[in-house]
Amino acid sequence: MKATQSEFFVGYQHSAPPTLGRFLIRWVVGLLVVAIGLAVALVMAQRPFDPGVFEYGVVRDFEGILREHPVPALEVARPEGAESVSSYLLVAPGKHGAEEWVAGRNGERVRLRGTLIYRPGMAMIELLPDSLESRSDARRDNGAPQAISDVTLSGEIVDSKCYLGVMKPGRRKSHRACAVRCLSGGIPPILVVEIATGGQEQILLVDRAGGPLGPSILDYVAEPVRLSGRLSQQGEHWILATDPSDIERILPVAKEGS
Amino acid sequence: MSHAYRAVGWNRQKRLYDLATGLGVVLFLGFFVGGGLWRYPDATVETLLIRGLGTAAILLLHVILSIGPLCRLDQRFLPLLYNRRHLGVTFFLLALAHGAFSIVQFHALGDTNPLVSVLTSNGRFDSVSGFPFQPLGLAALVIFFLMAATSHDFWLANLTAPVWKALHMMVYVAYGLVLLHVALGALQSETAPFYGWLLGLGAVWVFGLQIVAGWRESRLDRGRSEALDSEGFLEVCSVAEIPDARARIVCLAEERVAVFRYGDKISAVSNVCQHQNGPLGEGRVVDGCIVCPWHGFQYDPATGTSPPPFTEKIPTFRVRVSSGRVWVHPQANPAGTRVEPAIVAEATGEAGV
Repeated sequence: MKATQSEFFVGYQHSAPPTLGRFLIRWVVGLLVVAIGLAVALVMAQRPFDPGVFEYGVVRDFEGILREHPVPALEVARPEGAESVSSYLLVAPGKHGAEEWVAGRNGERVRLRGTLIYRPGMAMIELLPDSLESRSDARRDNGAPQAISDVTLSGEIVDSKCYLGVMKPGRRKSHRACAVRCLSGGIPPILVVEIATGGQEQILLVDRAGGPLGPSILDYVAEPVRLSGRLSQQGEHWILATDPSDIERILPVAKEGS
Repeated sequence: MSHAYRAVGWNRQKRLYDLATGLGVVLFLGFFVGGGLWRYPDATVETLLIRGLGTAAILLLHVILSIGPLCRLDQRFLPLLYNRRHLGVTFFLLALAHGAFSIVQFHALGDTNPLVSVLTSNGRFDSVSGFPFQPLGLAALVIFFLMAATSHDFWLANLTAPVWKALHMMVYVAYGLVLLHVALGALQSETAPFYGWLLGLGAVWVFGLQIVAGWRESRLDRGRSEALDSEGFLEVCSVAEIPDARARIVCLAEERVAVFRYGDKISAVSNVCQHQNGPLGEGRVVDGCIVCPWHGFQYDPATGTSPPPFTEKIPTFRVRVSSGRVWVHPQANPAGTRVEPAIVAEATGEAGV
């Protein structure tokens, strides 16, 4: 027993005995210092955060050609010339895709308002659905994706909206449940492939017929996978047509450094 | 203590306690979120808040779980125990904020009810590294909620002590769930070894303290005298071994008994406080009453009853002093039974019942 023989703490008295009080103050101050030290150490040991940007609260105007397939997108002409376009994936607010807003409007020139989400290599617009208005009755033929080759790729399946900047992190296990919710709600899935020279490549995933992959893909989200399919390109987007049966889990071979 | 229930019986010490608790929470979150935004310009406030709230809660949980055994090992920590429930409620609010923000962030605005989504969005029960960690956190949060909601003495009295105690011992189940929640969640994404080591160190600290404190307690229950007189009294110690206004704890018939000396009198009562099973034998006799070291509940040493208007009662034991030795009958009297104190003769240290 280390308490002084004469001192006894009773909580409903006005103050603690002086020796006890000094002892406790030293411990409490020590605990506060430890808490601050741990806060700094814990926050500094985190992985770096992804560079994506979600311009939350900033609504911009866009005008361009709607693309309905293989995933909803808007192609916007760049200032330098009509042949050069920027491709923006289109999604609805929350964890929902934009299919219902672009259905039957492939090739239509529209004006819309929305919030930008982007990271190097891919950009997206979170559409304000009520802002979508037609600018012309004419429809442009968007054509089909240009097939490149059959490939087998390793990477991680994520939902494009969170990965591009809405969530940080928008990948790995801690984000898995959110990615499942987003993909289930129609957000386009992408395969994130680590490039040996650094950075990542983002590839949109569709089924073999060019439509959305079904719910069976949800089992493979946010973990290392290998999948096979036909790689193609449309606008700025890489697209891999695959099938859940062509996806297999792989063990991570090295810790990622993204 | 036992009659008039108030949400919090504020006094200066409680305010200081809460001030220190609040300061700790604010400093931790401030350095975590502020430091994170400074260190990582790409970080988002909501992610840092979710992580900061979670880690602050876990850190506070370790403090809470340490206070009990620390008090067993060193009574100078007892003032931290007195208002520990304030720490518990603060911890629960931090954990609740972490859980609520996470559910909103990861599960709201989708095609499924967010709570249903927490339980169903990850079905990888066949994988250790892929195992769903969020339901584990939710289960822990439910336990912590029940504990926080019933932390007041009103619930202790109405649920009865055994039920209340059993409910609050669930904290160790919840702590285990939290360890799994972190190990199978954050540690699967954040792979810096520091996190794993820190979590393991915390678990070793918490369980190690419990083991050491338990071992120290078990020593109390060993080594008592086997001397038994013809009337069944057991010799427990000498009068001189009991400091004035304090007690010696002995284990008789598998029950701990607190043998108090106050002035020239000696009384023996159950060592277990009616409030939260606090160790009365580690308390003092103040103003003629035994005062529990945990929360200040009081008992008359001769009758084992709390002074009016309070109604708590504890068992008493027959006691006698002979040749400077204290003898206690191991048969407990019904709670509240008056037993005349044994009187210590000043000159010789001898007395009788």
